[in-house]
Amino acid sequence: MKTLQRIGTLGFGTLALMGALMNSAAAQSTVKIGIPVGLSGANSVVAPSVVQSSQLAADEINAAGGILGKKVELVVADDGSGAQGAQRAFNSLVFQDDVDVLISMETSAARNAGLPIVNRAGKPFIYTSFYEGRSCSPNMFVPAWVPDQQVKPVVDHFTDTLKAKTFYLIGSDYNFGRGMLEFTRKYIEERGGRVLGEEYLPMDGSDWTSIISDLRSKNPNALITSTAGGAPNVTLTKQLRNAGIKIPYGNLAVDEGTAKTMGADATDMFISQSYMTGIASAENKKFLDAMQKKFGGELKTPNDLSVPQYEAIYLYKAAAEKAGSTDAEDVIEALPEVSFTGPRGNIQMNKQHHTPLTMYLGQVKDGGSVEVIKTFENVDPGEQCPNL
Amino acid sequence: MAILLLDILTTASMLFIVAAGLMIILGVMKLINFAHGAFLTVGGYAAHVVTAHGFSPWLTIPAAAAFGFVLGVVVERVVVRPLYSRPLDAILATWGLGIIIAQVIVFAFGREVQFAQSPISGTVDLFGTGYSSWRLILIAVAVVLGLLLTALLYLTRFGLNARAVIMNENLARGLGIDSIRVRAMTFGLGAALACAAGALITPLLSVDPNMGLPWLVNSFMLVLVSGIAIPGLALASLVLGGAQVLVSTFVSPIIGGITIVVLAAVILRIKPQGLSRG
Amino acid sequence: MADIPAAGRVPDATRRSSRQVWRTVLGAAIALAIVATAPLYLGTYMTNVLTRALFLAALALTVDLIWGYTGILTFGQSAFFGIGAYACALVFTHWGFGAGWAIGALVIGIAVAMVTAWLTGLLSFYHGASPLYSSIVTLALPIVLTQVIFSGGRFTGSSSGLSGFPTYYWKIDTWFWIAGVFLVVAATFAWLFVRSDYGRILIAIRENEDRCAYLGIPVSRIKTALFAVCAGIAAISGFGYAAFSNVVAPELAGFQLGTESLIWVALGGRGTLIGPILGAIGIDATSSYLSGNLPFLWNFIVGVTFVAVIILLPNGIASLITGAWRRYRTRGAGGGDQPRDSGIRLTAAPSVRAAAAAGRSASPPIRIDGLTCRYGSLTVLDGIDVEGKQGQLLSIVGPNGAGKTTLMRCISNGTERTGGTVTVAGTEIGRSSPQKIVGLGVGRSFQNTSLFDSLTVGDCLRLARYRIDGARPFYRSETVALPEPALEILAATGLDQRLGVETRYLSHGMKRGLELAMVLATEPRVLLLDEPTAGLTKPERTAIGHVLTRLAEEYGLCIFLIEHDLDFVREISNRIVVLHQGKLLLDGTVEEVVSSELVKAVYAGQDLEATV
Repeated sequence: MKTLQRIGTLGFGTLALMGALMNSAAAQSTVKIGIPVGLSGANSVVAPSVVQSSQLAADEINAAGGILGKKVELVVADDGSGAQGAQRAFNSLVFQDDVDVLISMETSAARNAGLPIVNRAGKPFIYTSFYEGRSCSPNMFVPAWVPDQQVKPVVDHFTDTLKAKTFYLIGSDYNFGRGMLEFTRKYIEERGGRVLGEEYLPMDGSDWTSIISDLRSKNPNALITSTAGGAPNVTLTKQLRNAGIKIPYGNLAVDEGTAKTMGADATDMFISQSYMTGIASAENKKFLDAMQKKFGGELKTPNDLSVPQYEAIYLYKAAAEKAGSTDAEDVIEALPEVSFTGPRGNIQMNKQHHTPLTMYLGQVKDGGSVEVIKTFENVDPGEQCPNL
Repeated sequence: MAILLLDILTTASMLFIVAAGLMIILGVMKLINFAHGAFLTVGGYAAHVVTAHGFSPWLTIPAAAAFGFVLGVVVERVVVRPLYSRPLDAILATWGLGIIIAQVIVFAFGREVQFAQSPISGTVDLFGTGYSSWRLILIAVAVVLGLLLTALLYLTRFGLNARAVIMNENLARGLGIDSIRVRAMTFGLGAALACAAGALITPLLSVDPNMGLPWLVNSFMLVLVSGIAIPGLALASLVLGGAQVLVSTFVSPIIGGITIVVLAAVILRIKPQGLSRG
Repeated sequence: MADIPAAGRVPDATRRSSRQVWRTVLGAAIALAIVATAPLYLGTYMTNVLTRALFLAALALTVDLIWGYTGILTFGQSAFFGIGAYACALVFTHWGFGAGWAIGALVIGIAVAMVTAWLTGLLSFYHGASPLYSSIVTLALPIVLTQVIFSGGRFTGSSSGLSGFPTYYWKIDTWFWIAGVFLVVAATFAWLFVRSDYGRILIAIRENEDRCAYLGIPVSRIKTALFAVCAGIAAISGFGYAAFSNVVAPELAGFQLGTESLIWVALGGRGTLIGPILGAIGIDATSSYLSGNLPFLWNFIVGVTFVAVIILLPNGIASLITGAWRRYRTRGAGGGDQPRDSGIRLTAAPSVRAAAAAGRSASPPIRIDGLTCRYGSLTVLDGIDVEGKQGQLLSIVGPNGAGKTTLMRCISNGTERTGGTVTVAGTEIGRSSPQKIVGLGVGRSFQNTSLFDSLTVGDCLRLARYRIDGARPFYRSETVALPEPALEILAATGLDQRLGVETRYLSHGMKRGLELAMVLATEPRVLLLDEPTAGLTKPERTAIGHVLTRLAEEYGLCIFLIEHDLDFVREISNRIVVLHQGKLLLDGTVEEVVSSELVKAVYAGQDLEATV
């Protein structure tokens, strides 16, 4: 009996010792950028492209002398696309690796789980994913779109050009899915349209049978979906196509690259993005060439998640240089004031920590390429965080 | 209404196809294979590999079955055989096996969603509306599978041996039946069916390392409710699958997701032997 | 190790038991000291990771109590963890925050978890439920709960969960201490509990649930109560986890976490308490540490180790260490079958004779009317009428398949028969479960001698007294009070000198003796004995026969005896019932039966119909 206690004591001691050894923090001669990202789970489709664009930004900055003379070092951690994994990833990045800043594209669940840790540690956090909006923290900055910017082009196009009067909404049941569709419903009704149905499935759900049947029986003019990226997006699209649904289909959660891998199933789908590979600017061309050169055959198509990530790293550089240090408080103060002209144009996170953006409405063509149908200049994110 | 009926029939067919492999193993070996979900996933990846190499999507099913059979025979030898006398431990060991398989898949293919070409897509006009042709094909597949399995059990030497082992293993061994071989073949067959099922459902799903997992618990419940018999499984799939579709349609798709589990727990409380017995 | 008491020396049980308590307190104190000092040298990151792991370890602890000790394979303990966590998050998010709210939320969490567990227990732990069915229900539980959370929409946060709710932003060290103290306290109570009288009952349920029921132990109620208490503990740890991490997500209540907790317990060593705690802390801390570097390789290693341990080391990694320790110890003591310090003294219970006299009422000890038992189209018993009188030793004879054992079963378990009534001392048994019928005063022994392998003789006897004397949680009694006839049997078989021996080391004859003593310890008025002398030697048989005669004559018991040995029957019975093909063929005195042509015909294997 006593033995077991002794073993217990021993084990605990060993663990404690292990921890002590791991904790020997080295003096920092680099700028550490923490990237918690969904290498597994729902975001696993897009995560590799985000890592790639981060690597390019780091390489370019290092080649040009680093940030304040220090080399940039990326620390990537898998957040499992969920709250649990995000807590682990944020904990290890913030407290173990002691990064200077967190810059990442994540699911809303992961962001919400990580945010308390960021706040506790007082680190700057640039959240580079488009999201459902209205998440506010003095430490968090968002260079990507929110529903106010993204939904309007789709709904406007459906009502004005395609003369759609009735809509059906399908989403994954999580912050992003619900947030996007709530805004969409409100905006559709503002525009005089009618929403015939709004249905959700949990993020790990894959059987859309009854929702699709309901959709068919209600026979709306257009469909707008907002699922989690990855598996739910794929299963829903496959089952929609299998069921022969052919009404105009706006997908709020798909990016160019994913649309391409989905093949024929994605054809004719409408997407609304702040980045398209076809943007004709010198910055975009330079970016695409550099990506192609660096990754070659391994290249994941740059997209609306990976490009903001690239720009965010430059924005951090600008802020640190403006502040003259990588001290968290100074950087946070400087971040809204700096701007960077990247593949998406001039980016400045000056609107309550959010960013006015140029939006593109595109349609997927045969073979997966996206044709830009309309461009909306400098769309304002609206009142996201009035207290900031 | 017609659509609803088709939804029920096709959902039941999918459940039947997916659960058949689990039932064969439980029936003959009295063993609950919690790696079943992982076997489905393996089938999905087999489909991905076959179509990625440019072969016809129709080949995905036999290829998945063949691979599954080999995998099953190996797994039986290494993991399952030592656990025949400890059925509850076997659940845990096969669950662990599922974790291992998922990780091996991640090593080999990465974590992201993969795509497999579908044998056919589009719809067939039925009762005035279009209905997914692949789902309709699944009804036929389920019927054929049910008949084939019945034939296998009642018309072949293997089936005779398997039934002997089901009824009384000691006696069967006394009669000179190599029960170890029967078990190995059964596990191989069960795994083959699971992998083939994985390939059969990929046209409607995404191929990712966890694709089979959501099916595991539902299949498990169906098999127990079936009373471990092929007609019983067909009945269970129809009743519980039907209930799932009805609840999803008229109540909420989220509550629909637990219909099978809850109904199964209730049915088994009332009839512990399942639908086809007592 | 050298001071193993010789056989027969009465061990000083009091000192032993208090030593046990002091050792545990000492162990707990050491653990607390580690908890208190750990944050000083661990650093923020490890403290952070370990705080989460400590809460999860408390979850693993409850899984070990349920699965490791009691043998219920549960996939659903995470559901209660999730209930605690969501109670915290929902109250803080939607209603309010503060000390009052926190206590309220904790109470709500515990209450909801315990009620849920209690309902689950009612559903899945009924008498006769297969172990698999219980597992199915525990598997369904987290799945249902997760979907309920999903369907909560904005209220529960659905797939995203809730985060950023107000909580106590204490220093991480403080949280570590809270988690550590909670775990140590829970583990200490669990440690004392499994070593108490009650803990023995849990092991007995794991080893032979059916037999427990026939000793009058309310198995279903104990399981349900244990399940509810463990649910409460899991809810507390879930609450702490949520309050600390400031985020809840459906996966906290999910079946994956439930399975993961099984992995921790299996790897650490089920039924050891410490093993599962270390398993949980080790695996969770390591996977947090490695999540950045090689998460998938780590999962792969955990998977492979898990499968290997299940196959090769069913008792977990801890068994390597405890096994070596035990071998080392037994080498010193000269083998595990040696009598060891059992810590138990036998005393005499208040006389049964007096009780028997008091119960000498108008109604007979047992009356059976029109008893019928069918399995489908097969009729095993058909309209049996028998009345057992006080002090009567009634032998039931008949060829194999005559329905003798089925008759015993129908008397001792109300759900077995298909027709007729059984009345015990004036009370109709209805559809009562075995343990209720034991309460009416029916004791039953079994054909096979499967006892509780890893319990000692003393433990088994105390188990048999549960119905009458109860059992104490957290404490081990030093005495077992047994009725006189039970003491006599123990003395006659020499078992009273072997109270510390695990039953698997007993000889066949001793097992029979122990079994009989256990049945007698329940103080029955009616004794059902199914071939109590099978496989015994002639002297042993004579001894048992002597005891049985005395039980009937002096203590006034009514004994139903199934026997094949007609000579033995003739020697001790005062009445014989002959069963044949499910019908009562003859009921009479020994002489009547022995001289009956009918009986001779039956035993000669002739066709009954032809003879009649």
